[in-house]
Amino acid sequence: MLSALRKELLLQWRSRAQLLAVLVFGAAALLLFSFAIGPNAAALRQFSAGFLWLGLLLSSTLTLAESFHAEMENRALEGLLLLPASARNIYYGKAIANWIQLAVIGISLVPVMVVLYDAGTMRIMTLVAVILLGSAGLSAPGTLYGAMTSQIRSKQTLLPLLLFPLIVPALLASVKATSLIILGDPMGEARSWIILLIAFDAIYWSLCGLLFGRVVDE
Amino acid sequence: MTGVITGGWNFVVAAYSITGVALIVYTVSLFTRSRHDHSH
Amino acid sequence: MSKVPYILLVLGAVCLVAGSAAGLFYAPKEQYMGDVQRIMYVHVPTAWNWMLVVIYALICAIAFLFTSNYKWDARLEASLEVATLFAILLCCQGSIWAKPTWGVWWDWDPRLTSVAVLLFAFLGIVALRNFVDDPPRRAIWSSVATIIASVDLPIVYYSVKWWNSLHQQQSSPSTVSSQFHFPLRANAFGMLFLMIAFIMLRSRIAAARLENEIAPPLEAA
Repeated sequence: MLSALRKELLLQWRSRAQLLAVLVFGAAALLLFSFAIGPNAAALRQFSAGFLWLGLLLSSTLTLAESFHAEMENRALEGLLLLPASARNIYYGKAIANWIQLAVIGISLVPVMVVLYDAGTMRIMTLVAVILLGSAGLSAPGTLYGAMTSQIRSKQTLLPLLLFPLIVPALLASVKATSLIILGDPMGEARSWIILLIAFDAIYWSLCGLLFGRVVDE
Repeated sequence: MTGVITGGWNFVVAAYSITGVALIVYTVSLFTRSRHDHSH
Repeated sequence: MSKVPYILLVLGAVCLVAGSAAGLFYAPKEQYMGDVQRIMYVHVPTAWNWMLVVIYALICAIAFLFTSNYKWDARLEASLEVATLFAILLCCQGSIWAKPTWGVWWDWDPRLTSVAVLLFAFLGIVALRNFVDDPPRRAIWSSVATIIASVDLPIVYYSVKWWNSLHQQQSSPSTVSSQFHFPLRANAFGMLFLMIAFIMLRSRIAAARLENEIAPPLEAA
């Protein structure tokens, strides 16, 4: 699996211009959200967590669709599957690579959020942890559905359509936890949301890994 | 909540009608689609 | 061809008419909710049966992955469609109940919100089926997607419940006058018979189409 992961990371490093473009897209989305609300500093700050995660979610549709693009170009997926490296390793390699990419985008959007919505926090480490857990929640089913939709037409519409209802719990938990971190958490509720995120990640990282083999079977 | 909700029959009728109509329309659609298949 | 679905359709219709008449005209007015609560006599049975169809869809998905027998794919196609129908009905009934009761069309009730989320998930799977022409791939992918969506349902429910509990305290919509169970039971059985008939008839349609697409013979649905 490590070699699969290494290959993925190498591919991503080579296409880092793409990552930059997605980052700009995410930042632009955050900007648009502020125009939707208007110059209402209190409202912007209150909903900043929601905007951050919506921005990340929209960006994920771009990165996840892209992640199987290389394989589709060269029909390399069939070749990969012939190797002893099983489908499961391919899945986890891709999912981890997508996870890292999403986490990078998420963390990079934090300064944008701080500037646009006046939504800073001292609990940086906790915020980073939430972003890591939330991106993991997006990456696991996203990689599975990315593999599916990359093989059919209308892939751009189908991937978000399949993914968005599924990740509602992860989105809810990430937004709530982030919101509590930014706005204050007198009763320590953020912890229960983080536990929900961990449970979601555990369930979907195992379930999707299990099912991936059937999805790419020819 | 204090007090009683008076009236509201419109809503009740709406709910039952939507349910009834949807079920009937779906049943009809099943027959239509099955006939369409058999005529092939 | 089996006559069972047609018998079930008639039985179901009879039960629903009886149950609804009882619920509308004979059941006593609820103490606080007034007549609006009569919606529950059709809402609760729809909810029970929706749950059953979703479980059945999950069973079909797992069965197909294990047996690769296309009768399960035909049944899955049917259950996805019937579950979508019932989910739309639930959202309509729930909204219509919420407006006079809470003054809003949507009140983020955990149960109704979970139905809405799963409705979108199933619509996505139906869309997926429409875009994949290759029967084996279509069957495998919709089975996988159905399993993932069904596993998500309890998670969605609990997360919305916790999310909602921080804001609103309200009674759940399924409090029903405890003296009058007949309309509830009659409608529940009525919907159940209709639901089974729908799935049987819809599976036949799906199986017929599969027969045109694949060479090997199918077992009867």
